[in-house]
Amino acid sequence: MGFLGQHGLLMIALLPLIGFLINGTLSTAFGGNRSSKSMVTAVACAFPLLAFLLTVRIFFSLQAQNYDAIVEHAYQWAQIDTSSFNIDFYFDRLTAIMTLIVTGVGSAIHIYSTGYMKDDKSYGRFMAYLNLFLFFMLLLVLGRSMLVLFVGWEGVGLASYLLIGFWFEDRANAAAGKKAFVTNRIGDAGFLLGMFLLHKTLGTLDMDVINAAFNSATLPAVSASLVGILLFIGATGKSAQIPLYVWLPDAMAGPTPVSALIHAATMVTAGVYLTARLSGIYMHAPEASHVIAVIGVATAFFAATIALVQTDIKKVLAYSTVSQLGFMFLALGVGAYGVAIFHVVTHAFFKACLFLGAGSVIHSLSGEQDIRKMGALRKKIPITFFTFAVATIAIAGIPPLAGFWSKDEILWYAYASPNGGSPILWGVAALTALMTAFYMFRLLWLVFFGKSRVDHEVEHHIHESPASMTGVLIVLAVLSAVGGALQLGHYLEPQLPLPLVPESLEHLELTLKIVSIVLAVGGTLLAIFVFGGPPSRAESLAKTFAAPRRLLSGKYFVDELYNNLLAKPLAWISEHIFLGLGDRRLIDGTLNGIGSFGQFASGVLGKIQNGSLHFYALFVMVGVVSALLWSWSRA
Amino acid sequence: MLVLREPMRVALALITTMMSLGAIYGFMGVHFIAAFQVLIYVGAVMVFMVFVIMLLEVREAPGNKRYSNLLVPGGVIFAMMLGVFGISVWRAMGHTSSGAPVTNDAFGLTEFSTLFLRDYWLQFELTTVLLIAAIVAALAVIKVHQRVANEAVRSNRSTNG
Amino acid sequence: MDKQHQLLLWLSIALFSLGLLGVVIRRNALVMLMCMELMLNGVNLSLVTFMNQNGQAAGGVLVFLVFVVATAEIAIAIPIVLLLVKQKRSLDVDAYSDLKG
Repeated sequence: MGFLGQHGLLMIALLPLIGFLINGTLSTAFGGNRSSKSMVTAVACAFPLLAFLLTVRIFFSLQAQNYDAIVEHAYQWAQIDTSSFNIDFYFDRLTAIMTLIVTGVGSAIHIYSTGYMKDDKSYGRFMAYLNLFLFFMLLLVLGRSMLVLFVGWEGVGLASYLLIGFWFEDRANAAAGKKAFVTNRIGDAGFLLGMFLLHKTLGTLDMDVINAAFNSATLPAVSASLVGILLFIGATGKSAQIPLYVWLPDAMAGPTPVSALIHAATMVTAGVYLTARLSGIYMHAPEASHVIAVIGVATAFFAATIALVQTDIKKVLAYSTVSQLGFMFLALGVGAYGVAIFHVVTHAFFKACLFLGAGSVIHSLSGEQDIRKMGALRKKIPITFFTFAVATIAIAGIPPLAGFWSKDEILWYAYASPNGGSPILWGVAALTALMTAFYMFRLLWLVFFGKSRVDHEVEHHIHESPASMTGVLIVLAVLSAVGGALQLGHYLEPQLPLPLVPESLEHLELTLKIVSIVLAVGGTLLAIFVFGGPPSRAESLAKTFAAPRRLLSGKYFVDELYNNLLAKPLAWISEHIFLGLGDRRLIDGTLNGIGSFGQFASGVLGKIQNGSLHFYALFVMVGVVSALLWSWSRA
Repeated sequence: MLVLREPMRVALALITTMMSLGAIYGFMGVHFIAAFQVLIYVGAVMVFMVFVIMLLEVREAPGNKRYSNLLVPGGVIFAMMLGVFGISVWRAMGHTSSGAPVTNDAFGLTEFSTLFLRDYWLQFELTTVLLIAAIVAALAVIKVHQRVANEAVRSNRSTNG
Repeated sequence: MDKQHQLLLWLSIALFSLGLLGVVIRRNALVMLMCMELMLNGVNLSLVTFMNQNGQAAGGVLVFLVFVVATAEIAIAIPIVLLLVKQKRSLDVDAYSDLKG
C-alpha cells in the first residue's frame, strides 16, 4: 500500500482532474464521430469510478484503524513568516461519508450523462467540465485546511458557472451562469473575512486544529459567533439560503445532469459540510447557531410556498432543493450536526433521482419542460414513472423510505434540542413538511397521471430513455428506499455529538414521529384530492386564492427587488460616475488634453517659422547679444 | 553701403572697403595677407558679384522697396550689439599684449607656408576637400539645369508641333 | 593693448555689426550676400589684429581658411540665387517664404 498509503487521498482528488485534462484537451481533436465519442465516454466515466473504488478502499482502512483520522501531507504551498500554508488531506467519518456520496453519486450521474448528452455537439466539453467539478468538490471535502477547502469552494463555483452556461449561445443561459457566480462571490466575502479572523487569532487554518482550539478549556480570543456568522454568509451563497438563494432557480438553465449533480447532491451541500466540519466553533456560538436555525427554517418555508405554484418541472425541484437545504441548516442551527449530514445523504439520493427522472421525462418529450403540457405518462415511460414515484414518496417523508428517517430527526431536534429548539421552529418546519408532500405529489400527478395534455407532434415520439439513464435511476431509487437504514446521525455521534434532549421532553418523541407521518400522508392525500380529480377542482382552488397565487408565481418578486435595489443603482454608478466621469473625463480627458496641449504649443511655437530670412537673421543678432550677456553673468 | 539704393553702387562701396582693408593689412606688416585680400576678395569674389548684378539688373522693377519689414527692430538690436561688443572691448583694454614684439620676418610668407604645411596640415587638406565639394556642386547644378532646360524645350516643341 | 589695436578692434566690430544689420535690413538678395561678405571681412580684421597683438602666426592660417571658405561660399551661393530668381522672377527675399509654418 506504499504509494496509495501515502498519497491515496491525493489520488482520489487527482483522478477526475486527469480525466478533465484528457477530455478537455483532446476531445474536440478527435472530431465528432462515434469512436471518439466512446473514447470520451470511457475516459469520463472511468476516472470517477476509479476514484469511487479508491474511496471505498480507504474507507475500509479507516474502519480498520478504528476511525483515527488519516492525515496526508501533499505539498507546502507557502511559508510566510511563521505561518505555513500546506495542502493537506484529512479523512475521518464525516469526510468519508461526503467523499463516498460525491464520488458515488457523481459517477452515477456521469454514466447518466453519457446517455443524456450523447447527441450534443459539445459532448466532450460537457464531460470534461463534469470531471473538473468532481476534482474541485473532492478538494473541498478532503481538504484539511480552510485554504484548500476555499480553493475547492471557488473551483466548484467556477465549474457551476461553466456548466450552467453550457449552452451559452443562448444569452439567457450565460446570464444565469453569471448570476450564480456573482451571487456566490458575494457570499465569499463573508467567508474570507471569517477565514482572516480565524487565522489572525489561531495562526492556523487547519480545521481539526481549529475545532480542538474551540473545544479546549481556554477559548480563543475571538467571538465564535462573529466567525460563525461570517462563515455562514459564505454558506448562504453556496447553499442557496436567504438572501443569496436567487441563483439556484435560474441555474436550471443548465443541462439536467448538471442540476442533479451540482445543484442537488453535492455543491449546494458544501455550506452544510462546512458548518458541520467546524462544529467546534458553532457549539460555542449560540447567537450564530440561532441565526442559522431561523434563516434555515425561514428559507425552507419560503421556498416551499413558491414551489406550490411553479409550472416548470425543474423549477419545482429547484425550489424544493432550496427548501430541503433550509431543513439541513435548521438541523445545524439547533446543534444536530450529524442529522444534517444524514439529511444531506438521503437528499442526495432522492433529489438526484428526481432530477434525473425529470431529465428522462424531458428527454422523452423532446425538450418539453412545462408540466401543464404533460400528463398520463405513466404507461408510456414506466421505469421513469416508477423511480420518480419512489423518490417522491421518499421526499414527502413517508416511512419506511429514507426521507422519513432524516426529516423526522430534524423535526424532533428542532423541537427538543436544548441549543435553541423551540415549538415555533418545529411548527414552521412541520408546516413546510406538509407543503413538501403536497407540491411533490402535485408534481407527480400532473406529470404522470390524468389526461394527456401533451402536444400532438411530441406525443408520437414519446419513448423510454436508454439503459444508461434508466439504470442509474433504478439504482438511485433503491438507495432512496433503503437509505434510511444508514442512520448516519448515530454513526457520526462519536465525532459530532447529538444534542442532549432534556428529560422532560423525551416522552414526546413518539408523539412527534406520529405527527410527522400524519402530516406527510395528509399532504399527499390533499394533493391527490386536488389534482387527481377533474381539472375544475384545481382551477377553482386557484381562483379563490388568485392574489396570493400571483405573489407566489412571481417568486415574491425578490429578483425584481434585488434588481431595483442593487443592480440598477450599481449600473447607474458604473455608467455615469465611473465611465462618464472617471474614464471619459478624467483619464481620456487627461490624455487627450496632453495631446491637444502639445498641438496647441506646437501651433504657437510654429509661428516663429514664417519663412522670412530677415526674421531669422534678426534672431541671429539677438542670439549673439544674449550669448554675450549670458557669458557675462556667468563670469 | 546699407543705405545705397542700387546694388551696383553697393558693390562698388564694398570693393572700396575691401581695398582699404588690404591697405590696413599692409600697414600692419602682413603683406601676403594683404595680397590675398586684394587678389581673392576683390579680384575674384567681387568681380563675380558685379557680373551677377549686371546679369540680373534687367529683372529689377524700379519701385522696389529698399528696406525690409524689420528695419526698426533690427536697428534696436544693432544698437544693443554695438553696446555689448563695445563693453567687451572696453573691459579688455587694460590687458597688455602677451606676445613678443613684431618683426617683419615673423609674418613672412616663408613662415606662413611652413606653418601651414607642417602644423596645420589637416586644415589645409580640409580646405582642399571643401573646394572640391564646391566644384562638384557647381557641376551638378549645371547638369540639372541643362536637363531641365532640354525637357522644357522638348515639351514646348511637342505642344507647338 | 595699445591704441592702434584698440581702434582696429572697434573697426572690426563696426564692420561685423553693420554687415549683420545689413542682412536684417536690406531686401535685395545680392545686397544681403554682399553684407555677409562684409561680416567676414570684419572677422578677418579682428583675426589679423590679434595676430599682430599677440605675435602668434596661427592667426594667419585661420585668415587664409576664412578666405577659402568665403570664396567657396560665394561660388555656390550666387548660382543658387540665380536659379531661384529664374523661378520666381524677383530678387526680393520676402517672396521666398514658402517654408513658413
